[in-house]
Amino acid sequence: MINIQDIRDTARDMLAKGEVRTVIGYRRGSRGMPAEPAFITSPEQADELIWDPTCYHNLSLYLVHDQKILAHLRKASGSPIAIVAKGCDARSIVVLLQEHYFKREDVYIIGVSCEGTGVLDERKLASQLNGVQPTLAAFDGDDYVFTTAEGEKRLPAREVMADRCLECRIPFPKEHNVVFGEDKTGRQLAEPFAALTRFEAQGTGERWDIWSHHFDRCMRCFACRSVCPMCYCDECVVDSITFPVTQQTSAAEKADRVRWIERSAMRSENITYLLTRAMHLAGRCTDCGECERACPVNIPIRMLNNKMEREAREKFGYEPGASIGGSSLVASFLDNDPGDFIR
Amino acid sequence: MSEQQNYEPRVVAFLCKWCSSAGSDLAGVSRIQYPANATPITIPCTGAVSPMYILSAFNKGADGVLVSGCHIGDCHYIEGNFLARRKMHLIMELLEFIGVEPNRFRMSWVSAAEGAKFAQVITDFVDDLKPLGPQEKLKKAERA
Repeated sequence: MINIQDIRDTARDMLAKGEVRTVIGYRRGSRGMPAEPAFITSPEQADELIWDPTCYHNLSLYLVHDQKILAHLRKASGSPIAIVAKGCDARSIVVLLQEHYFKREDVYIIGVSCEGTGVLDERKLASQLNGVQPTLAAFDGDDYVFTTAEGEKRLPAREVMADRCLECRIPFPKEHNVVFGEDKTGRQLAEPFAALTRFEAQGTGERWDIWSHHFDRCMRCFACRSVCPMCYCDECVVDSITFPVTQQTSAAEKADRVRWIERSAMRSENITYLLTRAMHLAGRCTDCGECERACPVNIPIRMLNNKMEREAREKFGYEPGASIGGSSLVASFLDNDPGDFIR
Repeated sequence: MSEQQNYEPRVVAFLCKWCSSAGSDLAGVSRIQYPANATPITIPCTGAVSPMYILSAFNKGADGVLVSGCHIGDCHYIEGNFLARRKMHLIMELLEFIGVEPNRFRMSWVSAAEGAKFAQVITDFVDDLKPLGPQEKLKKAERA
């Protein structure tokens, strides 16, 4: 069981001593139960920090934002940033470090173990509470306890936990400066890739019927891209902003441009966008599930990333976010990589 | 029935400059007969093929995409085809996963001396593509 006071004390100490410039954590949000990201810059604010089942955000995204802001201001980073990180978040930070996005000494990882419980899936909870709005969520052993207008409601965590947490293999931040909570690696609440395996058991036709339905619904809001700590490219391949059309642009110039993907929300373009995203995240996605949570039309984006993760694991023995020094999935190879598909 | 017989699949073939492209040339100068369905695009190395090329080819109406390069160990850039093998495996799995017919994407190793093999690869690919009919799943719809 994690005592929130430990996290607050760590944050307060570090800020008071000036060892870090900001602590990124979670605090009470403004829309009821869900927590929101908090950026703590003074020791007095440290008591705002919380840790509860609604801390599902992957805060490593803000380390990326910080780097972009620093680059824009042309400033050096100075003292490090402390960040509260779950197992999956810590792995994202490892991938960013592996890609030299920032240096290890620029970040102080306050690891929190998810222990047996993981984090909440609000969509699952909504179906359990029949319209009652909870105002507070808390961990209690293997249960979540929700405070509602009709009193306390206790639910087993595994019934309302996010799928990715059920399938999580390592609910513990291996890379950390300090860590709270027990390492419950191997707790295995559900078979890893369980949803993916069920989906794959269907034939080509059925799979296409399901996916084409989802691809039709994508409205290209790019929430999945905005929320992803790995989507840090300054210029995304789907944005054609690098080719502004002016009055001087000739018809020949327009025709010569490579337009990989159009921005309009058509099925074919949505497929190209989502598959390109899946390819770009292969070997980098640490399954934090933020893309799927952010998707306003509930496209199972996580499944595409999961597919790549499983291929990498089973065919190439590659585990994303396992080590800072390791080479990346598509920039390395083994002599015995599978090649049976090649004629 | 007659419509199906007349259907000619369009294949986009990404051929590496050092091996498969020379292989296709050998097939030509050796006067080996093979279907004229493939549009060759010469690339420096299979390792330079971005999955984006493949998705884009399908997006612009290709019925099948072929990526062909040097045999393992023969890469002009030492390790380009090793890297390609991984990347192409991933994109192939992804396309199958969303329900694209597995036969629409193919990869082969064809050396500069294997003109006959190149002709065989194209012939087989076209034969496998014909029963599938036109590729509509990833193709961009015409604007009205």
